[in-house]
Amino acid sequence: MPRMKRDAKTVYNWLERRLQIEGPVKDAALHKVPRSTASWWYVFGSAAFTLLLLQVVTGILLALVYSPTAANAWNSLNVLNHQIPLGWFIRALHGWGSNFMVAIVFIHMCQVFLFGAYKFPRELTWIVGVFLLLMTLGMAFTGQVLRFDQDAYWGLGIGVFMMSRVPLIGGALVHFLLGGPNISGATLSRFFTLHVFVIPGLLLSFAMVHVWMVLKLGINEWPMPGRLVRRETYIAIYNRLSHEDGIPFVPGAFWKDLIFSGAIVAAVAVCAMVFGPYGPGGMPNPSIIQTTPKPDFPFLWIFAILAYLPPALETPVILVAPILAIAGLLALPFVAGEGEKSWHRRPIAVLTVSFIAVAWGVFTHLGTYTPWSPHMNAWSSDAIPARYTHSATPLVREGAVVFQAKQCRNCHEIEGVGGQRGPALDDVATRMTPDEMRYKVVTGGGNMPAFGKNLSPAEVEALVAFLETLHPANERPAYDGALRETSTHNGSPPPVTGSK
Amino acid sequence: MVERSDSPHPASTGAEIGRAAEVASDLEGPRVVSRRWMLLKAGIALNGLIGIGLAIPIIRYLFSPIRPDSAYNSWVSLGTADSFPMGETRLISFTNPWRRPWDGQTVDIPCYVRRTGKRQFQVFAINCAHLGCPVRWFPQSQLFMCPCHGGVYYADGSRASGPPTRGLFTYPNKVVAGNLQIYAGQMPTLSNVPKPPESAKLVNIAAPTPEGDCPCRG
Amino acid sequence: MRLRSTVAGGLLSLALLAAGCGRLPVEQTERYVPPDQVTDFHALYNTNCRACHGPAGENGPAMDLANPEYQALVDDATLRRIISNGMPGTQMPAWAQSAGGMLTDAQVNAIIEGMRKEWSKPNPFQEATPPAYEQPSGADAKTQTADVKQGQQLYQAHCASCHSGHARQELTSPIYLALISDQALRSIIIAGRPDIGQPDWRHDNGQLSPQDVTSIVAYLSSLRTNTAISAPPVPLSSRR
Repeated sequence: MPRMKRDAKTVYNWLERRLQIEGPVKDAALHKVPRSTASWWYVFGSAAFTLLLLQVVTGILLALVYSPTAANAWNSLNVLNHQIPLGWFIRALHGWGSNFMVAIVFIHMCQVFLFGAYKFPRELTWIVGVFLLLMTLGMAFTGQVLRFDQDAYWGLGIGVFMMSRVPLIGGALVHFLLGGPNISGATLSRFFTLHVFVIPGLLLSFAMVHVWMVLKLGINEWPMPGRLVRRETYIAIYNRLSHEDGIPFVPGAFWKDLIFSGAIVAAVAVCAMVFGPYGPGGMPNPSIIQTTPKPDFPFLWIFAILAYLPPALETPVILVAPILAIAGLLALPFVAGEGEKSWHRRPIAVLTVSFIAVAWGVFTHLGTYTPWSPHMNAWSSDAIPARYTHSATPLVREGAVVFQAKQCRNCHEIEGVGGQRGPALDDVATRMTPDEMRYKVVTGGGNMPAFGKNLSPAEVEALVAFLETLHPANERPAYDGALRETSTHNGSPPPVTGSK
Repeated sequence: MVERSDSPHPASTGAEIGRAAEVASDLEGPRVVSRRWMLLKAGIALNGLIGIGLAIPIIRYLFSPIRPDSAYNSWVSLGTADSFPMGETRLISFTNPWRRPWDGQTVDIPCYVRRTGKRQFQVFAINCAHLGCPVRWFPQSQLFMCPCHGGVYYADGSRASGPPTRGLFTYPNKVVAGNLQIYAGQMPTLSNVPKPPESAKLVNIAAPTPEGDCPCRG
Repeated sequence: MRLRSTVAGGLLSLALLAAGCGRLPVEQTERYVPPDQVTDFHALYNTNCRACHGPAGENGPAMDLANPEYQALVDDATLRRIISNGMPGTQMPAWAQSAGGMLTDAQVNAIIEGMRKEWSKPNPFQEATPPAYEQPSGADAKTQTADVKQGQQLYQAHCASCHSGHARQELTSPIYLALISDQALRSIIIAGRPDIGQPDWRHDNGQLSPQDVTSIVAYLSSLRTNTAISAPPVPLSSRR
């Protein structure tokens, strides 16, 4: 036993004599940090780095099988899912690791922002961090493309259609991104290169610089209200904090990093085990158009915003908003490089974070069920509740058939089933008189197409007859007061109007 | 003995070497030995030149997709014009004229053919003019609907509702010897609206994918 | 001690999970089947037919497919024709790819097969013989001339007891008739719609003869006067 110990020591010394790495490692591990930073709030950065390592490892494992050609990518993912033992688990780890990494990076940024850590002298750390965030999102998007299914194919389409709005060079940019005039094998190769070589290389080097600066400049101290940052005095204050009231980074603060990172990786593994891998969905055959493309979780909010933007604002927002947002993030440490760090005295910072978090949550939630999308199969698959037609007149029943056959259901719900693009029609008869319905159906308006050209007058009448029955049993349908006063032909079918 | 000499931090460590180097650099500063500095600059300049020389081919390689080759300006045959029923709109796929053997299923590009007269056709791109998602044709209501953000178009491709700012993209078409041909070398986007250049050689007429005698589907 | 047992329990459950996870979540996710390869009747029916014909072939606004009498009345070739090319004069669209729909011939056949399997019953008419599905043409037509006047009387005698008065009068309205074809009327008169209480051709007042059915349809057809409001359907001949 003692002999083995001595041998090990010999080997260690032999290596250390040549590597000379003990000193820097000891310096890094034992450097003193302010006691207040040994906190559970300071664990997100290290967790993000751990997730990055997990992604590298699982990514390499997937690359052993994945075939980065348009002809075979989808098949190789199915082989991973179904034929290679636990291939699905590695895919699931990589997919869930990606989700967790995006989430942790965002949380890390919020924490750093609220703790004022971007202020002097850590401006560059923040700026590098902004690029790390962008690269993380870039990895998430290129990763979705590599899962070469229908969502990936049409997601590429969405991406290049956004690029095509760039003035002057838009067309060239599209061809550059696609690697050709159309989405093809060349496109997948480009995104494979980005996802596997270009962005990870940059990401790892930037992460190293980021960590290096954290070590050199010290971990941001826990902000105290009223302790303002000034260029002249900050270093002295920080040194006093870390040396007089400091503890060595290892183990004082590091144990929390280790435990949290472990917990996060365990959470990734549990999610991977329980929920399994992402897709792949339908095969990347563009001629199969029965698909509802949707981006992955990190981009759902963008998908939602694009649905709500007024057409006139779309191009400016798509092109200018990201530039402004990134410029704002990069400018932050120069605009507010000094002064108050504590969130207790930075109400605008707190409000900004809360507002963005709530807005992001709302848009992501909307993106999960896309109320703006027509349901393509609603017209032929969502049944009319039997009680609406069971004892209805033949005309009303025929109107219900028209309602389905003319795809009204694709945008309008009945009893919570159907598209949500337009208003639900369960009680439409209480809101609109038959004349108003007729007018709306024929001329469209708002966000509704005009059906005048495509419905015969008889179809319109039957449809309106059906819609007239859509009201709660205890509530009278709407009626035209003026008409009732002047006319007595209430029982008879209304005159055909709006015909062409 | 071995152990001692391999101890991690022997006497002659970085600090001493560093001090020696400082002395040396004082002696060999730019003013003292300008020839070495000049050679260093020459070395940098040489590498810079070679770098620029290499950058030109690299950039050309990297940006090669931007320079259109003849396939970008292709007329593609969709089969005999009479295979399309009058007054109807049909989905059909054509083979991407710019293709590689490893493209797999992505070579099949769908489009909608609407026949409005004996020799009058409208050929719509599958891509919604908003963000490129595949629009679906509903012959019953004579509408195209997009599953992504709810863009809707009328039968003639004009915008009906939703976020698109324009109608569907149409591929220019012509009937040559009874064959319907479309100018469809590129994915249409807001900045690549298909428009055949005057000088375009009308070549590279690709055969449609063999799908039985009728090229139409769904 | 307690901590140690917790850790041991955790490790054990992890090990169990790891042992069982060779086929955990991914086996539940079905492999992608391209939409034109789906031949499961229920999947096809639920995607394409359910909205109008009802969740289980009945109680929908359109024809009651789960009615065994209707299943017995219509032969496979006719069903194939209707599903593939649609039913002119009604809202039933064409589903075959050759007619601009989304279904392959194999899928149309799968739907017919599935309907027969689910909803056909042996001998639904017992000893009675129903009138033919289609109005006879050619030689048989001579025995069944359409008589509008007689049709009106038959309508009053057999149909008006239910199809009259405020609630149900639209049966004779040109608007309703513009949306339903003679063949669809004929099918409903013969096979009935048990799901909504419409009797078949053998209703309470006695049995309708094939001649009667033809005449009633002819009468209703003659009411379809307002040709302006019924846009002519695209003739089959122009479809491919």
